[in-house]
Amino acid sequence: MGFMTKHFLLLALSLSTWSFVAMIACGGTPTSTAARLLAIKSDLIDPGGAMASWSPGLPDTCSWNGVTCSDDRNHVVAFNLSGYGLSGSVSSKFAGLAFLETLDLSSNSLAGPIPPEIGMLKRLRELLLFSNSLSGFIPPEIGLLTDLKVLRLGDNMLSGTIPPHLGNCTGLEVLGLAQCQLNGSTPAQIGHLNRLKTLNLQQNRLTGRTPGELGGCSALQVLSMADNMLQGEIPSSIGRLAFLQVLNLANNQFSGSIPTALGGLSSLSYLNLLGNALNGTIPPQLNRLTLLRILDLSKNNLSDAISISTRQLKNLRYLVLSNNLLQGSISGDLCDESSSLQNLYLAGNHLSGTIQELMDCISLRSLDLSNNSLSGGIPSDIDRLTNLVDLVLHNNSLVGGLPPRLGNLSHLQMLSLFHNGLTGSIPAEIGKLQRLQLLFLYENQMTGIIPHELTNCSSLEELDFFGNSFSGPIPETIGKLKNLVVLQLRQNDLSGPIPPSLGDCNKLQALALADNRLSGTLPPTFRFLTELNLITLYNNSLEGPIPDSLFSSLKHLAIINLSHNRFTGSISPLLGSNALVKLDLTNNAFSGVIPPTLGESTNLARLRLGHNLLQGGIPSELSRLRWLDFLDMSSNNLTGEIPSDLSNCTRLTHLLLGKNRVTGTIRSWLGNLHSLGELDLSWNELSGQIPAEIGNCSGLLKLSLQDNHLSGMIPPELGRLTSLNVLNLQRNNLTGTIPSAVLIHCKKLYELRLSENSLTGSIPSEIGQLIELQVMLDLSRNHLSGDIPSSLGNLIKLERLNLSFNHLDGRIPASLEQLTSLHRLNLSNNPLYGRIPAGLSSFPVSSFTATKLCGAPLTACITRSSSSDMSRLSNAAVAGIIVAIVSISAVVCVVLLCIIIRLWSKWREVSVSNSDGEECKEKQERRGGGGGDRFENYWKVGSTCMVTSSEKQSSTSETSILQQKMEVGGLDDSGS
Amino acid sequence: MALLPVALPCLSSLLLLLLLVASPASSSNSEGEALHAWRTRLTDPTNVLQSWDPTLVNPCTWFHVTCDSQNRVIRIDLGNSNISGPLASELSRLEHLQYLELYRNNFEGKIPAELGNLKSLISMDLYENRLQGEIPKSFAKLKSLRFLRLDNNRLSGAIPRELVLLSNLKVLDVSNNDLCGTIPIDGPFANFPLQSFDNNSRLNGPELQGLASYDFGC
Repeated sequence: MGFMTKHFLLLALSLSTWSFVAMIACGGTPTSTAARLLAIKSDLIDPGGAMASWSPGLPDTCSWNGVTCSDDRNHVVAFNLSGYGLSGSVSSKFAGLAFLETLDLSSNSLAGPIPPEIGMLKRLRELLLFSNSLSGFIPPEIGLLTDLKVLRLGDNMLSGTIPPHLGNCTGLEVLGLAQCQLNGSTPAQIGHLNRLKTLNLQQNRLTGRTPGELGGCSALQVLSMADNMLQGEIPSSIGRLAFLQVLNLANNQFSGSIPTALGGLSSLSYLNLLGNALNGTIPPQLNRLTLLRILDLSKNNLSDAISISTRQLKNLRYLVLSNNLLQGSISGDLCDESSSLQNLYLAGNHLSGTIQELMDCISLRSLDLSNNSLSGGIPSDIDRLTNLVDLVLHNNSLVGGLPPRLGNLSHLQMLSLFHNGLTGSIPAEIGKLQRLQLLFLYENQMTGIIPHELTNCSSLEELDFFGNSFSGPIPETIGKLKNLVVLQLRQNDLSGPIPPSLGDCNKLQALALADNRLSGTLPPTFRFLTELNLITLYNNSLEGPIPDSLFSSLKHLAIINLSHNRFTGSISPLLGSNALVKLDLTNNAFSGVIPPTLGESTNLARLRLGHNLLQGGIPSELSRLRWLDFLDMSSNNLTGEIPSDLSNCTRLTHLLLGKNRVTGTIRSWLGNLHSLGELDLSWNELSGQIPAEIGNCSGLLKLSLQDNHLSGMIPPELGRLTSLNVLNLQRNNLTGTIPSAVLIHCKKLYELRLSENSLTGSIPSEIGQLIELQVMLDLSRNHLSGDIPSSLGNLIKLERLNLSFNHLDGRIPASLEQLTSLHRLNLSNNPLYGRIPAGLSSFPVSSFTATKLCGAPLTACITRSSSSDMSRLSNAAVAGIIVAIVSISAVVCVVLLCIIIRLWSKWREVSVSNSDGEECKEKQERRGGGGGDRFENYWKVGSTCMVTSSEKQSSTSETSILQQKMEVGGLDDSGS
Repeated sequence: MALLPVALPCLSSLLLLLLLVASPASSSNSEGEALHAWRTRLTDPTNVLQSWDPTLVNPCTWFHVTCDSQNRVIRIDLGNSNISGPLASELSRLEHLQYLELYRNNFEGKIPAELGNLKSLISMDLYENRLQGEIPKSFAKLKSLRFLRLDNNRLSGAIPRELVLLSNLKVLDVSNNDLCGTIPIDGPFANFPLQSFDNNSRLNGPELQGLASYDFGC
């Protein structure tokens, strides 16, 4: 070979460009070989120069890079240009290299289809085209390559089905078609490949059932069909594959139970069935797989108790049964002291019992039993599991305390115990856990102080104690936790100051100390927390001004919530950062002006400054905050006008400026804020008219303008606020009438307050259309006149009605009796007269004072004509009248009883026989023709009508079941 | 292309997932979480629930939710909002809720029995929806309830006798449903107008104690 090469090189040198002659010198048919190779080259793009040596001027093709010739140098037998960054396509000219045994173009960037001409390479033994960008179908002609041993086409964009013709390649030992877009089902002909050792079809789009014929691949060692959409049962014939070492069927849609025959796979070391729809029990036969190292059956619907035992599965390292429906308690058989089990994941099942049974499982490194129903405590001898790295027991029903010997688990990195019923305090021994990175104790009932030893856990990155009852101070030495990223101590009973050493935790990103009893000032060392993204300190007793430089270096701070503390001084140190998204300083004692630097925090979406002592004007720089959707400056001492620049903040959903001393008028630009849902300008000194343009804020739900000096008419355009729930205009100087448009269109109003204005005219009858009015209708203290519209009776959900201090006259309409939800009523101080409808008699006297009304609860009504007659009636006359009343009543009663007896017996018959009720319906409709009056007293009983006409009722009461009961009860007595 | 490494990322991603799930998003915002959990099951074609941001400290600045001064939810006002989907048992976590106003929507399915735990509830307006199943017996625990309007749904079964214990109940409307049996006569039922029971074709009038069982005809 060496001699030949030298010879060739000499020739090449001497005959430099005369390649034709050179090829003849090499004998055979080298002419065509070079030409073919150059033709193949012409289909390839070679940015790295892998084929630089391929040149007609270097005619010994056997010396070309990637080309291997036969011993006699007559034929190219191998072509290997794997991993040269080639693009272009696989040339059909390969077909001319008839002696080719190996073709390897893997790990390039070749595109286009696999040429069917490949099928002409009868001597091909290895075809490696994996990891390219080849597309199109797998040519069935590959099935002609009967000598083929290795076929690897995976990691391409090949589509279509797997050609059944591959079953003809009976010499195949490796078939790799993974990571393509192959669809259709697996051809049964694959089962003919009885020399096949590796079959890899994972990560495709294969569907359908898996053919039982696969059991014919009797030499198979590795079978992976994971990440497809395969359905049906796992064929039990797979259990015949005695040499199978790896079986991966994960992430398909296999259903049914796990075939017990899998217990026959005596060589199996890896079994992965995760993410299917398998049900039934885990077959105990799996315990016969003595070589098994990894078993993953997670994310299925497997039920019943766990039958796996490491007494037999002595090589098992990984056991993953998470997210099934497994139940029962964990048995000691699962993992005994002889086991090799390192990772045990049983999370997300219905397991009960205690953890104690696992204390012999001493090789365990990672244990996840979260999201089960485990009870009992964390075993006091937990340190028997000396190799533990991860201990994950959250979302169970564990009780008791943290055992001190937990501190002996020197490899522990993750300890997640949240959402259990753990009590007691944190043992000081926890400080020995030098590798602990994550400690989640949140949502337990732990108490006591946080031991300062905890701050020896110098690897800690995430610490979350939220929702316990830890008391005492935050350890002064907290700064020793220099790797801390998350510190969450929210909702405990911690007191004392925030330790200055916290500033040493300079990797801290989230600091949540809210809902405690912390006091004192923010330590100046805060300025070192340069990675801080979130700080929530709300609901504490922190105080003092915020030093100027404190937050200026915290460039990543996006969320600040200091609400409900006692901070004082200027808010300017907190403003100006471009990272700021949410700032909540509600309910502190911040004072001074709102600085214009606010406008520099251009990403601010939520700004809450309410309930402070801020003064001065509302800065017009707010207009730069284009993302602002929530602006609350209520309950301060702000003065001046609302800057019109605010009209640029068109994302505003909440604009809350109530309880300040804002002056000027409400301008029409407010109508530009189309996203507005709540507008509260109440309790200010605004004057002028309500602009009609507010009607453009069509999504407005709450409009609160009460307690200002607004004058003029209520604009009818408010009627365009069809979503409005609450409208409060009380205590202004509004004049004119109540616009009917509001009453007709604002149908979703549940609260309407127009009281203490100077509204005139009558109450429009359209008020009866506000049928969702519920909380309050307050029109009191205006100059309203005329009758109370009877349509008010439609407001059947109304609970409070105040019409007092107006000039309403006339009678109270009887329809008000329909207001069955009403429990506060004030009609006082109106010139109303006549009888109070009996249905309103249960309201107190104060509801009706300063009116000319009579009847309960006021004094009885005395009509002028009858009162004079009555006063003169003799005793005899009185007696006569009484006798007459009694006798008439008696007659009426008898008639009534007879009717009722007949009706009742008829009802019983009819309701039992269940015959027609059409006649009654007609009767009912005729009677109901008078406008659907609720007090028209008829009632459908079964298929008969029970009519209790209003003449026969006392004039006052509404029909009630009680009365029916009494009448029917009376009948019952007399009938027996 | 190798097979074994497939399993290991699965396992480690399990831990990663745990980290994500267990990240310090823990909160005391149980009311906001309850409402948000409900929201995820609702269809809201007009984006009425757009402002329901679960990352806020509490739900008190969400539209259609009203809180008291201690930031506890006291009102939910979603009447006439084109919402469809189920009522959620999580709503029972709103233990200070006084007004549950869900009328005129397309809520469907059963009324969760857990709503009987809303011990502060004053008004429950579920009228004009597509609710099915029975009126929960647990409603007898709603001791503060004054207004219960369930009319115009598809409710079936008998009116639970336990409701006679609701001494504060002033208004009841169960008309236009598919209720059966007889109407209770005790407690607040002594005062309800008959219209409250209209159009329940299998409802057979006031109960006749001793004569027919209350679920007569059910």
